[in-house]
Amino acid sequence: MVKYAKLIDIRDNVITSLADLKAGEEVIVKFDGKETKYVTNDDVPFGHKIAIKDIKKGERIIKYGFEIGSASADIREGDWVHTHNVDDDYICLDKDGNPLPGQ
Amino acid sequence: MKFYGYPRPDGKVGARNYVAIIPTVGCVNPVVSKVVSTIRGTVAIRHDQGCLHPPKDTLRVTKTLINLGKNPNVAAIVLIGLGCEMVKNEEVYEGIKESGKPVDLLEVHQEGGMLATLEKACRVAANMVDKVSSIRREEFGLDKLVFSTKCGSSDSTSGLSSNLVVGEVCRLMTENGGAFIQGEVCDIMGGEYALKNLCVDEEEGERIVDFVRDLYMRGYSVGADVRGSQMTSGNVAGGLTTLVEKALGANAKGSQVPIQGALEYGDLVPGPGRWIMDIPGHGFENLTGAAAGGSLLHLFTTGRGAPNGHPILPAIKLCGNKKTVRNMADHIDFDCSSIIDEAETIEACGERLYEYAVEVANGKMVRAEILNFDSGMEILIHGPVM
Repeated sequence: MVKYAKLIDIRDNVITSLADLKAGEEVIVKFDGKETKYVTNDDVPFGHKIAIKDIKKGERIIKYGFEIGSASADIREGDWVHTHNVDDDYICLDKDGNPLPGQ
Repeated sequence: MKFYGYPRPDGKVGARNYVAIIPTVGCVNPVVSKVVSTIRGTVAIRHDQGCLHPPKDTLRVTKTLINLGKNPNVAAIVLIGLGCEMVKNEEVYEGIKESGKPVDLLEVHQEGGMLATLEKACRVAANMVDKVSSIRREEFGLDKLVFSTKCGSSDSTSGLSSNLVVGEVCRLMTENGGAFIQGEVCDIMGGEYALKNLCVDEEEGERIVDFVRDLYMRGYSVGADVRGSQMTSGNVAGGLTTLVEKALGANAKGSQVPIQGALEYGDLVPGPGRWIMDIPGHGFENLTGAAAGGSLLHLFTTGRGAPNGHPILPAIKLCGNKKTVRNMADHIDFDCSSIIDEAETIEACGERLYEYAVEVANGKMVRAEILNFDSGMEILIHGPVM
């Protein structure tokens, strides 16, 4: 059975798996009428992300065309991308760009 | 595709034709319930507010009650008050009257108790139904449509399928001159700057960021970091890694459609296009805020199956999770699991949903209406309740 993953925006460096994947499995991305194949390096559950580019530690993770966090370790194409290798660095800022209290 | 709706005296067009029984204070809910169970064609706008609030809350409740009465899905209104509430009944009455729709006001103290009020309210409501039930649907352009949206009981399919499909409807319906209301400030948190960038006016964009700051500070004032409570263990297990990612998945219900401005809770939507309203994610207050804004129809995405609707706002439940579509079939209106199977494009599914939504606007009932799973609603209160 063919397994798919979703690329949401052309700028993204991750795709989201639409099936449970085992390490070494092939996954197809349909985008703009084209199909691209990727191979996962890890077990990746449904709804989780896979890198489609090498992402160095400190570089941004892009999904929906926006930065959603930064890599907390070097990530290779095909790696599972989740809390173990991504920092959630969202801070609620005041009008001057300073963090609001309690963060 | 045409919209067949009920013309209203103020030029707006309704998708439903209710006589709304609106309490100005929660104390009279039992009277409202009895009117609705007696007179066919009426609908109860039961809520628990209207008294012992700080002034800002009283103002918001008053405005919301007026704008619920003005919602085009409502043809006529019976207001029922107690007679000692903080909300000024005359103000609500005069506010609704501006719409030109039939409206009457009864107060339980003045009528001499429940039984006397009930008799009068039932007769007034019966006469209103008699009058408005002869209003016929007429043909209108799609520019008369106002939709709103939220996600509830979400899972990882929401941000990958149903929310993106609603985003496509937002694009299509605003291109046709319709208006689209989006809110859920708790879900915007993390994606506020992405929304700000879509605003046609920078100041309006800054107001959206202010909604998020305000929510954060209200959480902080009661010792909560609302950033953390927004990312649940279920979210993380489902594959969501960061708050920004979750927010972007929720914001996708408006796609990249330009945002015309920011609205306070319950504000009437001032024109066509996409608007962001300061509404919470919690369904009861959320749908009420959107209905007060003038929404005719709600596009409610769900992953696990949220069953609730709203008394005057038909809510289409759309779901991208095949298991839920099967398991909660009684509650799901629109299946978009084709997106997860890569069997349909977002664009094609969005067009299909747009057609479905217009059909619902034209009178097709949603599951929440058919099942009478739509009586719950509430008006937003910041408190403290005194």
